[in-house]
Amino acid sequence: MLIELEAITKIYNQGQANEVQALHDVSLQVAKGNMICLRGASGSGKSTLLGIIGCVFPPTRGRAVIAGKQLARLPDRFLTLHRRETIGFIFQRFNILPALTVLDNITLPLLPLGMSPRQRKQRARVLMEQLAIQHREKFPAGQISGGELQRVAIARALINDPPIILADEPTAHLDSRLSREFMTIMDNLKAAGKTIVLASHDPLVTDHPGLDQILDIRDGSLHVS
Amino acid sequence: MANPLLERQINFLDYTLSSLWRKRYKNLAVVVVFAVVIFLLASFQLVSNGLLERAQTALVMAPEILIQKMTAGRQESIPIAYAERLHDIFGIRQVVPRVWGYYFDEVTLANYTVIGRDQVGGGTDDQLAQVLSEGRLPTAANETVLGQAVFRTKGLQEQRIFSLFRPDLSLKTLTVTGLFKKESNLLTDDLIVLSLADARDLFGLPDGLASDLMVTVANPREISTVAKKISEALPGTRVLTRPQIEKTYHMIFGWRSGFASVCLLAALAAFFIFAWDKASGLAPDEKREIAILKILGWQTADVLVVRFWEGAVISLAAYLLGCTAAYIHVVFFGSTLFLPVLAGWSVIRPDLHLLPAIHLADLLLLFCLTVMPYLTATVVPAWRCASLPSDTALQGG
Repeated sequence: MLIELEAITKIYNQGQANEVQALHDVSLQVAKGNMICLRGASGSGKSTLLGIIGCVFPPTRGRAVIAGKQLARLPDRFLTLHRRETIGFIFQRFNILPALTVLDNITLPLLPLGMSPRQRKQRARVLMEQLAIQHREKFPAGQISGGELQRVAIARALINDPPIILADEPTAHLDSRLSREFMTIMDNLKAAGKTIVLASHDPLVTDHPGLDQILDIRDGSLHVS
Repeated sequence: MANPLLERQINFLDYTLSSLWRKRYKNLAVVVVFAVVIFLLASFQLVSNGLLERAQTALVMAPEILIQKMTAGRQESIPIAYAERLHDIFGIRQVVPRVWGYYFDEVTLANYTVIGRDQVGGGTDDQLAQVLSEGRLPTAANETVLGQAVFRTKGLQEQRIFSLFRPDLSLKTLTVTGLFKKESNLLTDDLIVLSLADARDLFGLPDGLASDLMVTVANPREISTVAKKISEALPGTRVLTRPQIEKTYHMIFGWRSGFASVCLLAALAAFFIFAWDKASGLAPDEKREIAILKILGWQTADVLVVRFWEGAVISLAAYLLGCTAAYIHVVFFGSTLFLPVLAGWSVIRPDLHLLPAIHLADLLLLFCLTVMPYLTATVVPAWRCASLPSDTALQGG
């Protein structure tokens, strides 16, 4: 299993007046090459679960093993290193820096690796060609369309060639044509061996035939559909 | 293949430069304001150091010991006969009476310093001759040596004769036999040197009186001992030594520059309040950028390196710009902003072209007072922000 969560609980601001329990006793296993979807309304705990799978923060309780490493045992520095090598994120609002060019946005995760500009460009150009955005290479990201932004976000998630792709509400700001396009790209990534976790309540995603499993998340608890 | 660690730093520097370029107008404004503050501080330091070195050069002509008669705490003319009472003191080589005072020239509206002394040969004459750029010291009646500003303001060129008014408004005509060097301008710029008799004649002083007595000693290491003996031999006089005069100059310039430095430090403090406010109140865009970078796999240290480079580029650019501008201001523009404050307020202001005295310690002090606090003001807030969990990027952007 590439992702193994066992009795995960996440509590924010523990012991304080504003304590919130975001996840209760969640267990989940995802095999390599699978594509699953976490379905739930806003505030149901989807983003928190993605945060734990994405090594952004460790769980309060429970055992989380991502790509063979147990998160609770990793200090913050190594959590970041593990995330850099293992996880590709696609965010709801893409989280692209609008003043940077498309190329610079895609290569951001490579800067701390000490890769030369030539190597970074080479890697990014392969992805830009696959995602048909090579003509936007030198455009500031703030000047391109929503669909293109989505593909920039996908290219940035793939630039480190991570085994796991996490996408949080990836179609929330796309029309149906672009949403379908996005799911086709996900199918291709799955076919290439990537493990994909999508968090969405968009029927175009949740009803997608390529999904291996759909998990409903309500009030921080998982229910298998 | 390049070293990955070096390549990593180059990548961060490259990212920093592009980030600075994106906010170029805001950053340029910070650099300019910062450079102005550094320029003011560096100019001040260069001018006050330059003045002290100049004073040191010019003090060559100061007497080793000066005797002034004091009555009721005020200086008054001293009888030349007092010199005879010093013959028995061992270690005195020469006692020379001197007349000095100020002459206000209504034509040029300038205030000149007049010194009357006779050439007696030996130490004091040699020292005075050292600061002459041309000609010789006065040897005959109605001859004079002038400072550069007096020569200039009197409009003397080929014609080397000019006149001054006595107290009874009769004219006294003088012939210029020499000029003082520019290097001694701080003390000689407004100076007119005459023979003792001519100075007495110009000021209407009775014979047998002088303003003070200049004493040369055989062994300069015994100045203070000889001065003490003179004090004992001539009660009611004030005995000043060259080291005391040097100390006074240091105190005057030190006090003036210290006073002005305090004013400038207030400007520096104001700048840092502005810089701290700018840096600590990270804009929402900057906070979001840090959150995105962290979630994409940047370590807190990586974010800090970028912020450090950002602060370093801005503060070093301002530092170099400020120091270079200060150097140009002092060397090519004659320290026009600060010289009037530091050099004095006389009607003829010394026309000094200072060669700035650059001391590494001063540059380092300025660096520590300006660049280091700015770097701290840039890095600390970023560290606080980067140390927070990066999950804000997950919250719907």
